Amino acid sequence: MSRNQRLGLVLAAVAVAAIAFVLVSPGSDDDADPVVKTTPAQEQTTTEQDTTVTDQVIPSKPAAERIRIRGGEVVGGAKTITVTKGDEVRLVVTADAEDDIHVHGYDIEKRAGPGRPARFIFDAGMEGEFEIESHVAEDSGNEPLVARLVVEPA
Amino acid sequence: MTSLAHGLVGRSDLPIPEWLFGWAAAMVLVVSFVALAVLWPQPRLQRDAWRPLPGAAGRLPVSRPVEIVCGAIGVFLLGVVVYSGLRGTQSSTANFAPTFVYVVFWLGLVPASVLLGDVFRAFNPWRATGRAVAGLARMVARTDLPAPLPYPERLGHWPAAAGLFAFAVLELAAADNDKPETVAIATLVYSALTFVGMALYGVEAWIRRGEAFSVYLNLFSRIAPFESRDGVLGVRPWLSGLPALVPIAGTVPLLAVMIGSVTFDGAAEATLWTNVVPDIAGFFGDLGLSARRALEVTFALGLLAAVGLVLGFYRLGVAGARSVGGGFTADRLANGFVHTLVPIALVYAAAHYFTLLLFQGQAIWFLASDPLGDGSNIFGTAARQVDYGIIGANATWYWQVGFVVGGHVTALVLAHDRALALYDEARLAVRSQYWMLAVMVGYTSLALWLLSRSNA
Repeated sequence: MSRNQRLGLVLAAVAVAAIAFVLVSPGSDDDADPVVKTTPAQEQTTTEQDTTVTDQVIPSKPAAERIRIRGGEVVGGAKTITVTKGDEVRLVVTADAEDDIHVHGYDIEKRAGPGRPARFIFDAGMEGEFEIESHVAEDSGNEPLVARLVVEPA
Repeated sequence: MTSLAHGLVGRSDLPIPEWLFGWAAAMVLVVSFVALAVLWPQPRLQRDAWRPLPGAAGRLPVSRPVEIVCGAIGVFLLGVVVYSGLRGTQSSTANFAPTFVYVVFWLGLVPASVLLGDVFRAFNPWRATGRAVAGLARMVARTDLPAPLPYPERLGHWPAAAGLFAFAVLELAAADNDKPETVAIATLVYSALTFVGMALYGVEAWIRRGEAFSVYLNLFSRIAPFESRDGVLGVRPWLSGLPALVPIAGTVPLLAVMIGSVTFDGAAEATLWTNVVPDIAGFFGDLGLSARRALEVTFALGLLAAVGLVLGFYRLGVAGARSVGGGFTADRLANGFVHTLVPIALVYAAAHYFTLLLFQGQAIWFLASDPLGDGSNIFGTAARQVDYGIIGANATWYWQVGFVVGGHVTALVLAHDRALALYDEARLAVRSQYWMLAVMVGYTSLALWLLSRSNA
């Protein structure tokens, strides 16, 4: 094979790669694929009390994601909360004992206790998967994971 | 049990999207077949093209005073790790030791070695201590010290392979992996073992073959265009240090540990593994182990299985390459191509850990100011925080796929060149290539699959 033939083959391969990339990659226009994305509102199953509270305060915003900790365990297990970058994350953690709830990465820590849920409201500005942990469980050697926050790129 | 990345950071990358996985996998095949057609017909990388840098540029960076300063820095940092690990707060994120050992030392020295050469050799605290002790002893005794034992040929790289495996068990299987005290004690134990090795076989012999981190980082430094020889720093073409690698006993298992441990770290988060963990751990629980120990044993076994899988796959490719003829033994072929696994090991680590280095690496600025976590502020940087916004998910995915495909190309080029040098007949060289190609495609697909299935 001559030098030119080799060069031609490399160029052809690069062209194939580039065209394939353009074809398969989701463009910025059709990026807002409704099938993939689930905002907290869509996967949300709230109690009546919760919706009324949040609706009264800020009616247009999605209702808060609720997490309950009973006897050191997360009711229903640690779930994954998926949002898109730029969304407002609204999270209410109720606990039947004193607890410190920590959203990693965003580094927000709030206390929760009987009758005093920890309320988080923040903008999802950083992409990635972030753990939400109970520091009380961590310090006592139990599974600290309360939930996962997945922030997908917009 | 969560992997270390989570223990320290609480953040992980998102899996690469399916379309990118598909594209990258297709690219790996295109690249492979184009490479077979266009790569050079005569070996090009096998000759030694090192030349010294002129004057002070060649001598100063590897001069005695620089070496002493670097060694002192290494010993000082080792001391800080042990002291802060034992005396500081036991919160893993507020103590200097875990982040320094797992992120700055273990991850940060990899790109440094790939770009600048074997920098760890200068900073190696064990080598510096060993040389200082030997020098002092010579001064006191006023005679030469008795010669160390000859390094046993059969030992080869086995101690390094065992050392890296032990480190992987600590990092990925031990329940207290990120506890500062654990890190400090492991550092002390490893230091003691290294001093014994150096005392028996001599500082240089042990550093070159037995000391796990020296051997690990030296392998990566062979990619770099810088190498020092006999007190002079010189330049060489990129990658040319790899064909010059002389495999000894245990080199192939060493590479299998390097690739297998990253594989396990990725696979440990995939459902394939998390689904079987309770069953295996339950089995050990029934044997009388505590829940914690049972999980540790299960993860260590998973790690061993991953290493065995990587090793078995390579030996399979070698057996195939052997079947084309040429009269080589399986060991000769396995050793002949082992240097091609170094770029694969590199990109496995790079794709999996580069965001951990990028993010948690920033933590060293505030940890350096407050190594014990007691509220001190030595350099005035204690209030700094990690900025998780410096790279987004899309950019991360492209870098990850870029690393993996780049490593694939590099491995193919190295294997092609070695095959041309190894086989007299061009026809056999090409046919052996199909097998090595299959090995590379296998490892690369596995890397992509891991990126698509789990959070790196």
